[in-house]
Amino acid sequence: MSTELITGKPTTREKVEHKVKVRKPMGRKRQKTISDIITYILLALGAAIVLVPFFWMIRTSLTLESQLFDYPPKFIPSPLVFQNYVEAWNALPVSFTRFTMNTLFVTILAMSAEIFTCSLVAYGFARFRFPGRNVLFMLMLSTMMLPGVVTLVPSFILWRELKLIDTYDPMTIGAWFAWGPSYVFLLRQFFMSLPKEIEEAALLDGANTIQIYAKIMLPLVKPALLAIAVLSFIGNWNNFMGPLIYLNSGEKYPIIMALKFFEQSLSKEAPKFHYMMAMAHMMSIPLLALYFAMQRNFIEGITAGAVKG
Amino acid sequence: MIDTGSWVYDYSSTFSHWLIVGIAVILVSFLIQRLLKKLGMNNEASTGLALIMPWFIGFLIFNVYPFVASFYLSLTEYNLLSPLSFSNLPELVGFKNYIYAFTEDPNFWPSIRLTLLYGLISIPLGLAGALGTAMLLNREVKAVGVWRTLYYLPAVLPGAATALLWRWMFNPSNGLINTLLSPVLKLFNIPNPAWFTNPDLVLPSFVIMGMWGIFGTTTVILLAGLKNIPNDLYESATIDGANQWRKFLNITLPMMTPTLFYVLITSLIGALQYFTQALFITTPREAGVFINVYIWQQAFNQQKMGYASALAWILLAITLLLTLLVFRSSSMWVFYESDVSSGKKKKSKAKIKSSAQGGA
Repeated sequence: MSTELITGKPTTREKVEHKVKVRKPMGRKRQKTISDIITYILLALGAAIVLVPFFWMIRTSLTLESQLFDYPPKFIPSPLVFQNYVEAWNALPVSFTRFTMNTLFVTILAMSAEIFTCSLVAYGFARFRFPGRNVLFMLMLSTMMLPGVVTLVPSFILWRELKLIDTYDPMTIGAWFAWGPSYVFLLRQFFMSLPKEIEEAALLDGANTIQIYAKIMLPLVKPALLAIAVLSFIGNWNNFMGPLIYLNSGEKYPIIMALKFFEQSLSKEAPKFHYMMAMAHMMSIPLLALYFAMQRNFIEGITAGAVKG
Repeated sequence: MIDTGSWVYDYSSTFSHWLIVGIAVILVSFLIQRLLKKLGMNNEASTGLALIMPWFIGFLIFNVYPFVASFYLSLTEYNLLSPLSFSNLPELVGFKNYIYAFTEDPNFWPSIRLTLLYGLISIPLGLAGALGTAMLLNREVKAVGVWRTLYYLPAVLPGAATALLWRWMFNPSNGLINTLLSPVLKLFNIPNPAWFTNPDLVLPSFVIMGMWGIFGTTTVILLAGLKNIPNDLYESATIDGANQWRKFLNITLPMMTPTLFYVLITSLIGALQYFTQALFITTPREAGVFINVYIWQQAFNQQKMGYASALAWILLAITLLLTLLVFRSSSMWVFYESDVSSGKKKKSKAKIKSSAQGGA
């Protein structure tokens, strides 16, 4: 490869780069290997910082209760108590089956409504000229700056007057109104990057707006839709402020509230970290699985808005 | 009879409401399109307005109304338990709540201080750390996708899980952190730090926990920004003999400022809304609580809705002020390539080159 670089004409960008490197022959290569080694050492160090807490969570979730506060702690506990997961699942008067169902129910309703309306709104902002469009779009983005606590009390009063406290309504129905402005922003960026000729051709063929949107535009922004689906799933799965304020009955709790309840009641005096870590792990598994399944689209999606903006 | 205690009832009642509202939102959008067209608006404008209707209706119900109502409530002593109706609005008491917060409330300043200090320390540290990590990942490493996937993991973990996990790792007697630190601690004869249970160490503990999360979104976004820097800038700098440090100062940093600006704004807003993690970690009373937690406590534990609304408005003012400050300052440090329009592109490159040369 090196002979090609010395003799070859620098036509492409890579070749220019390599030719530049050849200019300083001695030491350069060694310097490169050393800096490569340092890079990988630092990267591995970073990966360790990321992964060790994960390991600690799983390790603790498999520790016998009597060994929980041993010093020094064993890195691999013996015995490995898989029974902890079963016990954690049934540690509260209501089983985790119900908590998981509650979380899934709220997440799916909120997520599907959110994706549906956010994509419509984004399409409207991206492709149609109407009076006040830019002002409205800026208004929408500025709502991101509004701290959640400002709207908290009046929203609570609103749902209370509707007699819908202690139901799942406050956490799901609002999603029909294009909840995340950031999702709209992201999808708008994607819609705007598509050539306008596609729609014009379809219009000539006699398709109406709904057909164009559903059959042509949506399939083209599929990566962005998948990305916001993942973001929305994670966001709703972890939603804490909503259930904390609106739900009173234990059996209606999502997992995060069950965790909070366990932490401040049964685990208050003598913290049962083996159960709490098992619960935290079980709560994370669906998110981790989703992330690994979708990560390519997901990373592309979350970075699109930030870099081009 | 419907069994009102069963999950079937809970789910089906919300599901039917959800369905009705969904259909209503779509119908309203349709009707608005028809109406606007009747009023003489052209096809494109009426369709566009109809498409954004779901957001606009929600904006009125979930932003404008609470915004106005919360300001009104902040001027009253409204209590969660007292009944409320339009004919019987709570009595106005002027700026009493605001004055009380600023002058008398012993918990107000500590929570403002904790929240602002957390942002002030964790945001620059986080940005620097994330930029460093992103630059490492940008160095033609093998399997960059695998590293990136790994580094994003903490961001996928629920905030509640993160908080409980770090509380456990910070356990003073046998937590992972103190166990790993014990050789160093013994060497200098320092007693085990009590982290979240020592009022002086609460803030550093939150910052360290927050650092773990920076590997996530921030790093991935900055990495995408780095990949967008045209390679020829570095090539010309190399030809001119610029060293790594000069390249970083004169190419990487200026070219990254738009992305850094975006990340700075989002992390600022994030830090000012810190809530979930804080609620899963019990800290000593004298360390103060984050302002969002304090507002929630005032509203729903103390039932002081009026006072909580005033606190929320103070937080809103702080958020707006800081965001405005960052936006205002951006003209001084954010470098947009479009500023140096394509015709002058060569000139800007030459400028970067010459400054790189000057330092080398």
